[in-house]
Amino acid sequence: MDYSVNINVFQGPFDLLFHLIEKKEIDIYDIPISEITDQYLEYLEEMMQFNMNVASEFIFMAATLVEIKSQMLLPQKEKEEDPRQELVNKLLEYKMYKDLSEELKKYEDESSFYISKPREEMAITSDTKTEQLSLNEINVYELYNIYLSLIKKQNFRIEPEEKFKIYREKYSVKGCMEDIVKKIKKFGKVSLFNTLKEKENISKEYIVTLFLAILELSNNKGMKIYQENIYGDIIITKQERK
Amino acid sequence: MNIKSVLESLLFAWGEPLSIIEMSKILEKPADSIILVLDEMISEFNDNEDRGLIIQKFGDSYQLTTKKANYEYIQNLLETTVSKSLSTAALETLSIIAYKQPVTKVDIERIRGVKCSQVVKGLIDKGLIKEVGRLDKPGRPVIFATTDEFLRHFGLSSIDELPSIGDIASTVEV
Repeated sequence: MDYSVNINVFQGPFDLLFHLIEKKEIDIYDIPISEITDQYLEYLEEMMQFNMNVASEFIFMAATLVEIKSQMLLPQKEKEEDPRQELVNKLLEYKMYKDLSEELKKYEDESSFYISKPREEMAITSDTKTEQLSLNEINVYELYNIYLSLIKKQNFRIEPEEKFKIYREKYSVKGCMEDIVKKIKKFGKVSLFNTLKEKENISKEYIVTLFLAILELSNNKGMKIYQENIYGDIIITKQERK
Repeated sequence: MNIKSVLESLLFAWGEPLSIIEMSKILEKPADSIILVLDEMISEFNDNEDRGLIIQKFGDSYQLTTKKANYEYIQNLLETTVSKSLSTAALETLSIIAYKQPVTKVDIERIRGVKCSQVVKGLIDKGLIKEVGRLDKPGRPVIFATTDEFLRHFGLSSIDELPSIGDIASTVEV
């Protein structure tokens, strides 16, 4: 796991710069850029000595400072903007929000004196007469009795159990396979569509069974199953032996 | 129906800030009339020295809370818990959002000079800010604004109660 520790927790390069400016009691509108740059870099080095992960934003600011410093060394034309101006504007804007956040902090502290309740998991049952029962304190017999009394109370009519009929399978995969094999012996090939048409009433059950039979046959190496086009008829023939 | 009495019960039962919309729906009364009653209740509760509860307004929601004056007694009763106050990073980010809302993450990062994805996510999870749409600019960046929960956290009845930037800016002039 990677730990990045923030000593003297600076919120970012602006925060660090402001700290340096305040420490030296520097006029923010006339920052001695050379001095501040040195101190800023010194601090970064310190951070690295502690094997701290210096965020890229801090490095970027170092580069900006060095750039401003080099611009300051160049002779300046009169109308040109002070190279420090943009940085100063950003610093001031950041400082404003930092101060506002300290104000917010006061509001936060103040509001903690007012205590309120979180919403509780309250639910109101529509039938207030129903007793609340804890499932932990109840055994299966009591539960059964409650069930019976409920049935009685609610006048539930318990329908007599329906009788289930078990039908004998009309078609079997095995039977269908045998039919197909017989037909192949007789006609050389079998068409799925024609086979279906032979029945007067084609049931879903028959289609599924026949299809399963064909799939089973495809396992059989002696069979060749093909389709001439998509959604077309499926033809089953004997594999020609070479 | 005695509206005041019902509202008091609703606020007690709910506990958390209850919105005008919700109360208006339950009472089947227009929001305006409920606000009037609530305002009346606020002065009745908050100015009565014999009561320990007050009604506080946070944006469009109202909540029953204890009185500040009774805090030390409650404190003795309750177990002390870890303070729920926000980190400096969260506060900085929140103040930018509160004053510049609706605002994009890029704007926040430009001002703070650091990446803010984690902080913004944390604030969303805490319910203090929310996405309020997208900017009609390249990349259609999400814009963020504060919530009623933000107002509650800082004990503000509306966003206008925040100290004005002018007051702060004058102290910034170093």
